[in-house]
Amino acid sequence: MAAEEHSGIAGHLQYWTYSFQQDLPVDERNPFMQIHIDTMLVSGFVALLILGFSFWLKGRIVEGAPTGAQNAVESLVGFVNDTVRDNFPVHNPIIAPLALTVFVFIFLCNFFDILPAYLLGHVAHSFGAPAFRPVPTNDLNLPVAMALTVFAMVLYYEFKLKPVHFMKDLLLQPFANLLLMSKNPIVKLLGVLLIPLNLTLKLIEEIAKPLSLSFRLFGNMFAGEVIFLLIASLLLADNFAGMASVGGAISEIMGLLVGLGWSFFHMFIGLLQAFIFMILTVVYLSIAHQPVEH
Amino acid sequence: MSIDLTLVGQFIVFITMLLLLKKMLYVPLNDAMEARTKKIEDGLAAADAGLEAKAKADADAAAQIDEAKAKAQEILAAADKRAAEVKEEAVQKARLEAEGIVDAGKEELAAEVNRAQQALREEVADIAILAAERIVGEELDAKKHTKLIDSVVEQGFNAA
Repeated sequence: MAAEEHSGIAGHLQYWTYSFQQDLPVDERNPFMQIHIDTMLVSGFVALLILGFSFWLKGRIVEGAPTGAQNAVESLVGFVNDTVRDNFPVHNPIIAPLALTVFVFIFLCNFFDILPAYLLGHVAHSFGAPAFRPVPTNDLNLPVAMALTVFAMVLYYEFKLKPVHFMKDLLLQPFANLLLMSKNPIVKLLGVLLIPLNLTLKLIEEIAKPLSLSFRLFGNMFAGEVIFLLIASLLLADNFAGMASVGGAISEIMGLLVGLGWSFFHMFIGLLQAFIFMILTVVYLSIAHQPVEH
Repeated sequence: MSIDLTLVGQFIVFITMLLLLKKMLYVPLNDAMEARTKKIEDGLAAADAGLEAKAKADADAAAQIDEAKAKAQEILAAADKRAAEVKEEAVQKARLEAEGIVDAGKEELAAEVNRAQQALREEVADIAILAAERIVGEELDAKKHTKLIDSVVEQGFNAA
């Protein structure tokens, strides 16, 4: 396990990592060949929580008037179904479960930010772990994995539902299409020469989708955690001696109030980011399902 | 902040969760919701059909009531007509009977009158004979003077 020594905010932004190249010196290790144990543990815990709850609820589902947990989950499923139905031109049985999974998983992962900023780090230290990041959406790997899954599905449906149109779109838009339709051979040649430029532009456009999707979530949650750490570092005292003075007490109270306010706001941001990720997932897949206009 | 094998792990976690959540939560819950929606829609459709059937039954009942009323009116009119006919027949019959009775009475009266006249005539004849005998002083032969007596009585009656 790689345990780099850092202090302050930078120290709390370290992951609990395990390298699969333990036999190599730290400087020579491939940075890809490591895993963030904290991210895997928390995301796995959230996944098990969701699946355990689903398993528990599955045996209690009734067709009559729903109550309690079923009522709450039905409201959520109904909301997701409505969102998908409003945006989707055709029926695809995987889209609504995907949107539900994205929303619930991201929201619950974001919810871990409600825990005090340094708490899990200190608990992990006491068990010998070098660091611990409680919010898995703060780790770029999770948003990127989800965004790439969505991107792969978008590409799959584009190729499956309208392969010719997609290839034409990829190679001939925005410049070459009109030029190739010309009867003038020189203009037509110009159109052919512009194909690589079109391809480059289209690839940038397509790759921007998963990049924006993942970095938006990661950036918001990472910034939120940094602000928590800043509030804690600047306004909260490290020890009882610091709290004993008047200034220390005032600073402590202000730190608690500001931290509480930011907690509420950050929970709202977490909910909003989960919704944005879900709605963009639905929209990107909806675009891939749109019928070709002639 | 780096991309590493955690990405692969997150792929596995996310896709596994997607498939299991779909199978364990979304599909059964959605089925239950759709079944409930269908049941509610069926119930509403049945209620609409019931209302429609009730409206139709009301309309049928109203039509039958109207028809029955019309028939009753017809029956009443026929009964009135029949009653008037019966009444007319009874009046006619009573009139005929009364006329018969009157005619019979008249005939009987005429016969009585005739009989009375005859008796009177005979009595008058007898009285006339008796009176004539007293006046004449001799016995008249009734058979012999019948013609004479009858003519006198006849004259007397005619004069009366």
